[in-house]
Amino acid sequence: MIKAVNLSKVFRTDEVETTALNKVSFEIKKGEFVAIMGPSGCGKSTLLNILGLLDNPSDGEYYFLEKEVSKFSEKQRANTRKHNIGFVFQNFNLIDELNVNENVELPLIYLGLSSSERKKRVESALEQMQIMHRRKHFPLQLSGGQQQRVAVARAVVANPHLILADEPTGNLDSAHGEEVMNLLASLNQNGTTIIMVTHSQRDAEYAQRIIRLFDGQIINENIKAGKTEMNAI
Amino acid sequence: MFVNYLKIAIRSLMRQKFYTLINLIGLSFGIAAFLLIGIYVQRELGFDNHITKRDRIFRVVEIQNEPGVGEQHVAITMGPLAKAMKEDFPQVVNAVRLMSGFNISVVSYEDKYFSERNLYYADPSVIDMFDVNILYGDPKTVMAEPRTVLLSKKVAEKYFGNAEDAIGKTLMFDKTSIRVSGVMEDQPETTHFFFDMLVPIVTAEVLPEFEWMKSWGSNSMVTYVELDNASSMENVNQGFDDFLERRVFSTKDTWQYLEMYLQPLNNVYLKSGHIKFQNMSASGDANMVTIFIVISILILLIACVNFINIAIARSVKRSREVGMRKVLGAGRGSLIIQFISESVIITLASLVIALGIVEIVLPELNKLLGTTFSIEFFSNPLFNIGLLLLFIGISLASGYYPAFYLSRLQPIAVLKGVSSASGKRTGFLSKTLVVFQFVISIGLILSVLVIHDQVDFIRKKDLGIHYNNVFYVGFGDKGYEKLQVVKSELLQNPAISNVAGCSFLNGVGGSQGPVFVSDSAETKLYVRFGFVDEDFFKTMDIKFADGRDLDGKQPTDVNRVSIINQAAVTALGWDNAIGKSFRYPGASDSSGKSEIVGVINDYHYYSLRSQIEPAIWTWQPEKFRGVVVKLADGAKPDEAKTFLEDKWKEIFPGQPVQIVDALNYGAKSYKSDQSSFTLFIYFTLISLLLSCLGLFGITSLVLEQKTRSIGIRKVLGGEVWQITYMLIKNYLVLVLIAGMIALPLGYYLMQLQLDGFAYRISINVFHMVVPVIAAMLIAFSTIIYRALKAANANPVEALKYE
Repeated sequence: MIKAVNLSKVFRTDEVETTALNKVSFEIKKGEFVAIMGPSGCGKSTLLNILGLLDNPSDGEYYFLEKEVSKFSEKQRANTRKHNIGFVFQNFNLIDELNVNENVELPLIYLGLSSSERKKRVESALEQMQIMHRRKHFPLQLSGGQQQRVAVARAVVANPHLILADEPTGNLDSAHGEEVMNLLASLNQNGTTIIMVTHSQRDAEYAQRIIRLFDGQIINENIKAGKTEMNAI
Repeated sequence: MFVNYLKIAIRSLMRQKFYTLINLIGLSFGIAAFLLIGIYVQRELGFDNHITKRDRIFRVVEIQNEPGVGEQHVAITMGPLAKAMKEDFPQVVNAVRLMSGFNISVVSYEDKYFSERNLYYADPSVIDMFDVNILYGDPKTVMAEPRTVLLSKKVAEKYFGNAEDAIGKTLMFDKTSIRVSGVMEDQPETTHFFFDMLVPIVTAEVLPEFEWMKSWGSNSMVTYVELDNASSMENVNQGFDDFLERRVFSTKDTWQYLEMYLQPLNNVYLKSGHIKFQNMSASGDANMVTIFIVISILILLIACVNFINIAIARSVKRSREVGMRKVLGAGRGSLIIQFISESVIITLASLVIALGIVEIVLPELNKLLGTTFSIEFFSNPLFNIGLLLLFIGISLASGYYPAFYLSRLQPIAVLKGVSSASGKRTGFLSKTLVVFQFVISIGLILSVLVIHDQVDFIRKKDLGIHYNNVFYVGFGDKGYEKLQVVKSELLQNPAISNVAGCSFLNGVGGSQGPVFVSDSAETKLYVRFGFVDEDFFKTMDIKFADGRDLDGKQPTDVNRVSIINQAAVTALGWDNAIGKSFRYPGASDSSGKSEIVGVINDYHYYSLRSQIEPAIWTWQPEKFRGVVVKLADGAKPDEAKTFLEDKWKEIFPGQPVQIVDALNYGAKSYKSDQSSFTLFIYFTLISLLLSCLGLFGITSLVLEQKTRSIGIRKVLGGEVWQITYMLIKNYLVLVLIAGMIALPLGYYLMQLQLDGFAYRISINVFHMVVPVIAAMLIAFSTIIYRALKAANANPVEALKYE
């Protein structure tokens, strides 16, 4: 599903040139749950942005669903993104002016679905995330855990092939964190590919494989029989 | 400490170059416009301020009540009035009469001859009442003797080269010799009554042809009175009825019932629109002054709102800075000083730039208005005080919000992130202010459209009289004797197609009076008199509605028949006027009868502001003061003019030649309207630009704050056009709201303004729709750039922003 070949990303400001990613290569298969780990500034988020087609690499090739996408225009990327990828962020990134229902509905509007179809899908996603009773609330009226559940609902509502999660539990206490991780795990069981950036060893345990980054390079690609797989058996 | 505040303020301003620039441009243009209007308004309000006793000086206005015609106010009064008022009213301590030297056509000294427009007969009291400053001569005696004249310095230099030498010299007033008794300082430009030659009024009074000056039957001069104190005005006004009954037997039952009242000198320049006959060299319009004051305040307000709006939008960002400062121990006072010092610096800089702009624009303004404004830092204390107040006012107004609002924030709340409540409140406030700006902009566009159309309407309206290719050449009061010579000499030139004698080029003289329908002693009409010969209506292309033109082949047409306009026919309620006749004082027939032979279409002999009044034209050669000359098609005006000048010197030697280009005269009647409208349109454009600038600033900031939500939307698959549309939609809604407020308001105000015109356009849908569409376009084009930029940005950048 995903194949990265020598991906590099260099940031330039007036005086400084920073290499965030340095010739990173790996492959992720459909249905995998992969955790990307590493210390702050190692390039995790940069890698996730490129994988999520939010940003282009400076160099290298990126195959997403068998297509080379590293040179895609913003328009092409947006199009690929909205049909295939869902995002979950550490700080939830909900839109404050929209209520729960509207936040979750947003990706479907951009997909151009009819309003009856949108209603059906939003309701099913909210039920799945057990946040239906808060559908008329605004993000600031919710707890962190609830906000993240809304964010996950929004990420899955369009049935993406891939979910990218950037430290999804980073702003949550351990109970809420576990709740969210279980949601992700169950999505993975239903066939959704998940790539998650995390600092937490505990969260990483949910993944089948951990890619460890340091200074923009992969230092360890460790395939393990994770918790998810074991649960699945 | 203070230096530290300044340093930090300057740094903070420099860091936000874009917004600092918007604030600077907005404020400096706003202040410049305000100052320019201020200078203009100060001049308009400062007329006659050189007269120290102005609070106690009044002009006598007469109300003439005409049955069927209604009342008309005139500021021309009778010869004996001044003296009688001094005798009858103890409150009147002094009085002066001023009468135009209309009978003097040429003033000459050796080989220099001029026709003097600002020559007046006056009582000696003019010196004391009007603060005439005598430079040479004895103030007590300069106006004492008949056949003397007091010259202004400028005029004295014109004739004699040197003002000092003028005293004792003799000038020729037509064929009368007049001795120069003294020289006075030139009158200021800002006087409603400009004179530069004063002749003691006894000079005229003793002449037999001025016998009528002694009677109460003729209105021909302006009377000013000085009261013991300003509050006596009421007493005098109340005493007028008795006074008039006693002096002229005017009671409410008499056919020509008179009333009088005193008009304060301070009101004469600005508030004399309702008065018909007046001797004034300049008149202003209180309405226009009010409009300009309103506009100047609006402009300043817009500039300040821009500033405040940007400050509010920035406050969200700066609240973090404030929180941090508070954590580090900053007190509220020091924060207030910090924010105020930023607005102080901006205001000060804007003020300096504004003065520069004013300095550059002032000459243009002077050209437009025919004035001589200049910035007077030293001699105009009002200006300096105004600047200081402006400086303090704007600094506080625009620094207030950030200073007091932000300094009140609790550091913990701020560092946690701005609470949604305050975010919503500032959102609402800045939306309100944006709506406010659009209300003003839409209202102003509406008024520009309406006023433009009105001015255009007047310019294009068929006056009914055609001034194209027409010159008027005056020949004084004796020239009519040579009228036939003039005609035949001029018509020999193929460049000239028509020549006609007349009292003035618009066909009417200044005089107005009653005429009686001859078959009834009662039916009477108040009319304007015109004196023309048989070629006038042809020459000016004035069409006949009924009857015939004057006819040169019928000698009885001279002095014995009348032409009237349709307004007169309507006023008399006639179906057919031809064959009916009038009696009136001017008719030379022994019976005073004058038969109506023709009815002309109404034409505008005065400006379109005034209704066409009933008028009568008769052929009385001795009333002619010149000829209108129509050029043949294709004739060159310049050559014709030279030809006329040469001929004139030949036919009327020793007389100055006065040639009036009729087209300019026609334009003049609405020129003052036009120049104030031009000015109005300029200032409206400035306020529109300022509004746009503010909108651009505020949009930029709002979008900056929306960066995150834009980023999220893009991550979720939102396309550029979808996001741009969403951003713009919000603003268009604000414009629509503004339109709903502005249109009814603007409609009402413009209708009031239009009511001042006798002939006016009506406000239509176009005037109402265009401003809203224009405002939308303005909003759209201001926002689109920013919105597209924001929507096109890499979402990663947007999310990083938070």
